[in-house]
Amino acid sequence: MSKTFDRYAGIVFLVIGLLFVMEARKISQSAYGSSVGPDIFPTGLGILLVLLSARLIYETFRYKGEAGKKEPVQYKRFLVIFFSAVAYAFLLEKIGYVASTFLFLIVAFQAMERGSWVKTLIIAAAFSFGVYYFFSELLGGVLPGFPGL
Amino acid sequence: MDTLQFLADGFSVAFQWHNLLFAFVGVLIGTAVGVLPGIGPMSGVALLIPVTATMTSGLPTEAAAASSIILLAGVYYGAMYGGSTTSILLNTPGESSSVVTTLDGYQMAKQGRAGAALSIAAIGSFAAGIISLLGLVLLAEPLSNVALKFGPAEYFSLMLLGLAAVSGLAGKSMTKALMMTVFGLMLGTVGIDAVSGIARFTYDMPILYSGFEFLTIAVGLFALGEVFKTILERDGADGAIAKIHRILPTKQDMKDSSVPIVRSSLLGFFIGVLPGAGATLASFFSYITEKRFSKHPEKFGKGAIEGVAGPESANNAASGGAMIPLLTLGIPGSGTTAILMGALIMYNIQPGPLLFDDHPEVAWGLIASMFIGNLMLLALNMPLVRVFAKVIQTPKKYLLPIIVAISFFGVYAVQYTTFDLYLLLAFGVFGYLLTKNDFPVAPLVLALVLGPMIENNMRRALTISNGDFSIFVTKPLSLVFLIAATAWLLIPLILKMRGKSVIVNEEE
Repeated sequence: MSKTFDRYAGIVFLVIGLLFVMEARKISQSAYGSSVGPDIFPTGLGILLVLLSARLIYETFRYKGEAGKKEPVQYKRFLVIFFSAVAYAFLLEKIGYVASTFLFLIVAFQAMERGSWVKTLIIAAAFSFGVYYFFSELLGGVLPGFPGL
Repeated sequence: MDTLQFLADGFSVAFQWHNLLFAFVGVLIGTAVGVLPGIGPMSGVALLIPVTATMTSGLPTEAAAASSIILLAGVYYGAMYGGSTTSILLNTPGESSSVVTTLDGYQMAKQGRAGAALSIAAIGSFAAGIISLLGLVLLAEPLSNVALKFGPAEYFSLMLLGLAAVSGLAGKSMTKALMMTVFGLMLGTVGIDAVSGIARFTYDMPILYSGFEFLTIAVGLFALGEVFKTILERDGADGAIAKIHRILPTKQDMKDSSVPIVRSSLLGFFIGVLPGAGATLASFFSYITEKRFSKHPEKFGKGAIEGVAGPESANNAASGGAMIPLLTLGIPGSGTTAILMGALIMYNIQPGPLLFDDHPEVAWGLIASMFIGNLMLLALNMPLVRVFAKVIQTPKKYLLPIIVAISFFGVYAVQYTTFDLYLLLAFGVFGYLLTKNDFPVAPLVLALVLGPMIENNMRRALTISNGDFSIFVTKPLSLVFLIAATAWLLIPLILKMRGKSVIVNEEE
């Protein structure tokens, strides 16, 4: 449990709550014969979140920050996989499911552990082709298969 | 027609060959999901929704819904069983409801009794499955008849009770749990308002008109969040796997564990029915109870077979019990049942009291298939224990990227937009950060599913009363629910203030 994270999270959620209330006030209040319009519920939620966030920020001043266990965090590995996943999402419709999945898996496997290229290629190819054919040929689902199709 | 007739019809649905196949695939995948680290019952069920949706696309809606819910429920209780395998063999629980199983299960494995521990877990799970099914059959009809008399005010208060129960028990800090609940409700308001047709928080982005898809958010928070955590923190240092010598338990083992199995099944079932409690809590309570009832409490923690049989029966019974509020009241009591509910809604089938009248095929088919599924689990697991022990050894470096790829496939196959893929990644990071800092994410998903229903019922109730909020406290049943909800939140607080430690429910 990190005191700093809790405090920042409290502030972020407090701001979200405030924005939510402000935006909810802009929603039209027409309610078609009922006195309760579409703005009441979101407004109430926003106020609740503000109160709870304030409570959390208050709590962070009360409890003693525990010296968090320092675990070795592998940022590099994570960032490589995360950004290749973003690229995967971006490319999926552009170059098709099979190619983008294949590329993503190769990068991610190698980011997890370098080496054994043969296994990497076989598993990545088997997964991307396998899922595509199973899903779109056998089950009749829709996936963007290959570029230009 | 009476209950027995309905049950017989349910069995005729469950015995259709494709439904048998679906139940089999469900429990098989479920067991694998429970065994594999980094993927729990909740993400397993969420990931399979798109696959089942496509597999059943040729069937009429109602039959398709029945078939896919049969498969998804199979994953759910299959995972409950699979989780015990890693607890026993590796001393690492596959999911949180098997945490207590490590206490005695791993000790038994160290003494060379791994096979007995695994098979008693399978037998206990089976017995529990049957007992909770009997409970389901007996309670479903009367409960849904009561629920039919509920008006919008009662529903609103009942759903608040469900949310309060989950928030009150989730995680270490109630403030954080409540924040997550409210945030989930807020996410649920994005999109076109169902009552007035006005777009809210969409900022003229057409993609937001239908709101956030719960599937994307659930897969992101649970599956990707867990994957990111493993990528960032844990490194391949896996423990040694205990060897399995003899599979069948001895006569003495059976004698020792038969009473604990029955007792824990009943206990687990009733805990499962309570919203918010669920399998993890059930297994903890069962362990404590068995230790108290045992003639040799000192053996617990040193390889007592009762310490495996009890909790494993309890967590399976609880997953059966959790079906009751879902099917009869339309209110999921845990993260996984919230996802099952989302799946039913995707087929335009609203769980709740009318389910048994409108879609008896779905409701009773599911109940009957759980019986068959439990039988399959037993038949599958006794001989295949060694195979599943091998599944544990799947190297993480291949497993984790593949889980990411499956999540992408799952979300894209249902949504057909890359927007949801970005959303999925964002919620993955969000889920990792939140869970790491003790913000429980299960209440968020539950609130997201319940949010629109809560709002609709609130507004319908207020329309009836002309905007007078006192309708929620003047209707007696609604008042009872509200009092129970408040109590659920206040009692843990009071206990904490008195310095007592409160058992909390981890993610399941």
